[in-house]
Amino acid sequence: MRVVVAAPQVPFVRGGAEVMAEDLVAALRSRGHEAELVTMPFKWYPGTRVLDQAFLWRLVDLTESDGRPIDRVIATKFPAYCVRHPHKVVWVLHQFRQAYDYDRTELGQFSESPEDRAARRAVERLDEVALGEARRVFATSRNVADRLERFNGIHADVLPHPPQALPYRTADPEGFILSVNRLDRAKRVDLLIEAAKLDPSLRVVVVSDGPDRERLERLASELDGQVEFTGRVDADRLADLYARCAALYYAPLDEDFGMAPFEAFLSAKPVVTTRDAGGPLEVVRDRETGLVVAPEPAELARACAYLLAHADEARAWGAAGRAVAERVTWDACVDALLG
Amino acid sequence: MRVAYYSPLPPSRSGIADYSALLLPALRERVDVVVAEPGRRAPHADVALYHVGNDPDAHGWILDALQRRPGVVVLHEYVLHHLIAGVTIGRGDGRGYLDALERELGVPGRLLGLGVLDNLLPLLWETQPERFPLAGTVLDRAHGLIVHSRYVAERAREAGYDGRLWRIPHPAWPMHRVEPDAAVTGDPLVGCFGFLNMNKRIPQLLQAFAALRRDRSRARLLLVGAAGERFDVARRLERLGLTDGVDVVDYVPEERLWPLMAACDVLVNLRYPTMGETSGSVIRGLSLGKAMVVSDVGWFAELPDDVALKVPVDEHEVATLAAALGLAADRAGELGAAARAYVAREHSLPHVADGYAAALEVAAGGDAVADAVLLRVAEAAADVGVDDVGPLARALVDAGIVA
Repeated sequence: MRVVVAAPQVPFVRGGAEVMAEDLVAALRSRGHEAELVTMPFKWYPGTRVLDQAFLWRLVDLTESDGRPIDRVIATKFPAYCVRHPHKVVWVLHQFRQAYDYDRTELGQFSESPEDRAARRAVERLDEVALGEARRVFATSRNVADRLERFNGIHADVLPHPPQALPYRTADPEGFILSVNRLDRAKRVDLLIEAAKLDPSLRVVVVSDGPDRERLERLASELDGQVEFTGRVDADRLADLYARCAALYYAPLDEDFGMAPFEAFLSAKPVVTTRDAGGPLEVVRDRETGLVVAPEPAELARACAYLLAHADEARAWGAAGRAVAERVTWDACVDALLG
Repeated sequence: MRVAYYSPLPPSRSGIADYSALLLPALRERVDVVVAEPGRRAPHADVALYHVGNDPDAHGWILDALQRRPGVVVLHEYVLHHLIAGVTIGRGDGRGYLDALERELGVPGRLLGLGVLDNLLPLLWETQPERFPLAGTVLDRAHGLIVHSRYVAERAREAGYDGRLWRIPHPAWPMHRVEPDAAVTGDPLVGCFGFLNMNKRIPQLLQAFAALRRDRSRARLLLVGAAGERFDVARRLERLGLTDGVDVVDYVPEERLWPLMAACDVLVNLRYPTMGETSGSVIRGLSLGKAMVVSDVGWFAELPDDVALKVPVDEHEVATLAAALGLAADRAGELGAAARAYVAREHSLPHVADGYAAALEVAAGGDAVADAVLLRVAEAAADVGVDDVGPLARALVDAGIVA
């Protein structure tokens, strides 16, 4: 089968969604399909720009390529899933959340002006058209599926995907809490830094980069070397950090899915998250595969300290997490998407 | 975003006043609303919302405001002849009435109007308003239209309205436990709530009930509502020998209405001709999970078949109605459960208020969004020598980007 994976790109930004799209292409190819990643840049601001950027995808003709038909399009994210194709399958990682649950919060982008309100409604309508015309809609987590149902009345089947392929291994914990997440406000890495402020013995390693990095570094500068920012790291280094950490901290606000908990689990490490983290709560279960606490620095500090002090429990929860993560395979994903 | 809200409100005794009393708090949770008042300056707002019904006393001032500033119109019924006559002839503006008739029917309409003004013809709004709805005056000034039924949507389109249109169901009252009024009983107890007049098919209902009672001697009919002028209910009951099988109660306030309705096994709400109206009384009854019998016309015909028994208005109407009342009584549990589920699904207040908020936001800012996006797309197309942007504009509309 000739399959196009359609995904947007934000130039110079790389995160879980980009990794997932590339891994999907690789998984399709490994099953003998011809697969290709098709992307277009996405700039969603200011104001109504999001709409004409989304419209670009409506103009793309992916019915055939070089005279040969394209059998299926698998689109992953807004606005790539606006593309038209008679056999379009959408595997929703993200809608344009600024138009939905982020609206009227500090993470939103639409003001109260009539034009902005109407632009938000246009995104809503566009989603309903684009997802409504799909042969099938999957969501990477129950959280994403619930949001589709609640905001758009669209049913999606839940289909989680495996995390990126790393040389996963495990080692004895070396007394630090790891954060692997793009550095923007919604990921709430600041909560972990605030927790470190409350517990001078807590050591934190923050991996990745993003627009919030400067603010986070300023916040951490008040601490005495407790927080290390590594920036982006290669696969070996990342696997090594996972292997040696005591636990992963992962608590974005109402996250869609989040691959990092799966990565931690494949390294047999537990995860600390918060009750409002959304998607991660589907796999991080309190005192089974990690700790789930209120989104408060003091609670987080206590949870991290607990994991550092109770290595046996942390090891058991990490092992339980690994069993959860190992059940999610690319083979199952490909079967569902092409089925 | 601010909305100027024009509607009659309680204590006005109108269905639309009740409707607004129900909707307003939920709408205020979603958009900034300022309520306009008759005789006061029009409030400053991004968009105006006009609730239009057929009663000139309740809606004349709203039509005046709409004439001054176009906005989103909620067309609660399609036939507005009485309203138009009220704000024209009723204010000594016969020419305005003639203009309205001419707009709808051309010169013959004007001639008809002259016949009415010269007392050569009966008053059209009393005798055959459904033939001359006169909604055009309102549709001309609407830059968005909210309707409750496909029936009214289709009539508006047929009349040439080509603007934005949203079909938003009538909201249901949030349900709380209602104790049935124990003083009214029957086996079954059939209830009919609303004005008692010819248009509500009360004569046909009385005949059908008389037939039902021949088979079910313990059946009783409860008529609740003010009787129309020249409509003598007592005399009609006497003629049908129904004096001890029917209870007639004049207009009752909301707090008395619910227990009476809750006491009924079957509710009946007939209509012909229809003015395109919805019925708050039907929505109340369905919310209570009551078996419902309606006429098979207009909005009533759009109710799902498993929720209401629909009686065609034809030569067999009375016989069909009698059978339907019996059937509804026998299947009251099944119909009632379907009614409850239907109301929860389609008529929930949050669902309706969301629909209003979406419509108002698009009405207020949709043109600016369309202009901005179309301009950028057209500029990009022109840069590469594509002058005909019609297909691109259509694709934007098809995608939902431009409303």
